[in-house]
Amino acid sequence: MSDRPGGESVAVTRTGTGADPGTDLQIIESLARGELRVAARLISRIESGDPAILPLLAALHARGGKTPLIGITGPPGAGKSTLVDQLIFRYRQQGKRVAVLAVDPSSPFSGGAILGDRIRMNRHSADEDVFIRSMAARGRLGGLAIAAGDALLVLDAMGWDVILIETVGVGQSEIDILRHAHTVVIVQTPAGGDAVQALKAGVLEVGDIFVVNKADAAGADRTVSQLREALSFRSDAQEPESWHAPVLKTQAVEGLGIDELVLSIAAQAEFWRSHPQQRATRRRLQTRLLLIDQIAETLHQRQQAGDRQQRFEQLLDEVLARRCDLHTAASRLLDHAMK
Amino acid sequence: MPQQKIRCLLAMLGTDVHNKGIRTLAQLLRDRGVEVIYLGEHNTAGGVINALIAEDADVVGLSYSTATYLHYTRDLLDKMRTAGVGDVPLMLGGLIHADDEPALREMGVRGIFGPGSTMDQIVEFLQTATGKTLPGGAAAGA
Ligand SMILES: Nc1nc2c(ncn2[C@@H]2O[C@H](COP(=O)(O)OP(=O)(O)O)[C@@H](O)[C@H]2O)c(=O)[nH]1
Ligand SMILES: [Mg+2]
Repeated sequence: MSDRPGGESVAVTRTGTGADPGTDLQIIESLARGELRVAARLISRIESGDPAILPLLAALHARGGKTPLIGITGPPGAGKSTLVDQLIFRYRQQGKRVAVLAVDPSSPFSGGAILGDRIRMNRHSADEDVFIRSMAARGRLGGLAIAAGDALLVLDAMGWDVILIETVGVGQSEIDILRHAHTVVIVQTPAGGDAVQALKAGVLEVGDIFVVNKADAAGADRTVSQLREALSFRSDAQEPESWHAPVLKTQAVEGLGIDELVLSIAAQAEFWRSHPQQRATRRRLQTRLLLIDQIAETLHQRQQAGDRQQRFEQLLDEVLARRCDLHTAASRLLDHAMK
Repeated sequence: MPQQKIRCLLAMLGTDVHNKGIRTLAQLLRDRGVEVIYLGEHNTAGGVINALIAEDADVVGLSYSTATYLHYTRDLLDKMRTAGVGDVPLMLGGLIHADDEPALREMGVRGIFGPGSTMDQIVEFLQTATGKTLPGGAAAGA
């Protein structure tokens, strides 16, 4: 952002949603120049569901896919933000410019949120080569992963050397967010073995690197061996040409074990480079799931529009009265939505 | 379904460490539907401004429990203007002396919520200052 006093254009775009931030091409150029305010505004428009940005997102998508995306997930309080802080520190030492998207899916009844991940990364607050953006769920379920993906397109267009995505690994929507990541780091803590149990619901399958953080707490070694055992049952565990997910121990607050984590992330990226077939398979699977999500989301958005909402409710009444079954109702809605 | 939310940055500057008030405020604002970006204590003006830009916050709230707030506030507002974000409304809370309010307003502080302020007052300020409405608070008492 530099100490450039300018910001004229930003002052304009800041003042209201109606203000014209420039043509799509100008925005793309501003992003490529690393203009943080343009990026920040754009992410806000993504968050508020502004349909006018869809052509721009399409253009960003066409040009995108260049920046390594590292997803970091795990239960609340596991130390994800502290680990992200340590990763930022290491990448900055390597001269890399880092962006972080910190997604907090907790969605209280009020629709508000307290986004506090930045606090742990506060030592980078004056560093212009670190960009941290927090994102709340805003009541979206499947839509959260889509909005996060769109925000990642914006970051991707800015030429960061690496993008870190922090998300709480509790529900499906957070696991969905990991579909954007090239490398998935799953963070656990020595929690008496229950943690490994809780992992089974799909997360074990999508992790590329496992971290047992808070290794200073009792039971860390046991958690590590439990994780290793659980991983040995993974569907790809026996294939010779597949990536074997390492299990690492860290103490994020003290910065211990971070070098190994950085090395593992690099090794995983190297694995993708040397195994283009596997990488293509993985990308295809992730993108397939993203597209399925997007279909549901697009349908949902169309249903929100005026008379369609009413039509949905009417069909719902029909189903409740058993005049129409679920299959038929869905077909009718889909046929209608296609028009 | 996706909505315009009020995004509010909350922070403490300098050496001020009495964060109980600001933590409580963060929770109360969340319960009113605000997205609070919580920076905690020990922030620098530069750090707050970088966060404000990256988070595209609609409003900034600072809490003070020490007497140095005039200095810190002036410094932050100067730096906000230099960075081109001087138009983002700033509100203060905590132990603000009534005698200092005119000077703070003069500097450009938009909202001052000392001891005895109510949540309704703060919520109304947020809505007016940002031009956005909160789910439960259609400009109470306007
Ligand atoms: N004892 C111990 N505490 C840690 C460690 N890493 C993080 N913490 C603490 O765990 C708490 C939650 O950390 P945070 O990074 O916010 O977790 P997140 O919710 O997963 O992002 C904080 O108080 C951290 O200081 C660690 O390795 N050991
Ligand atoms: Mg966190």
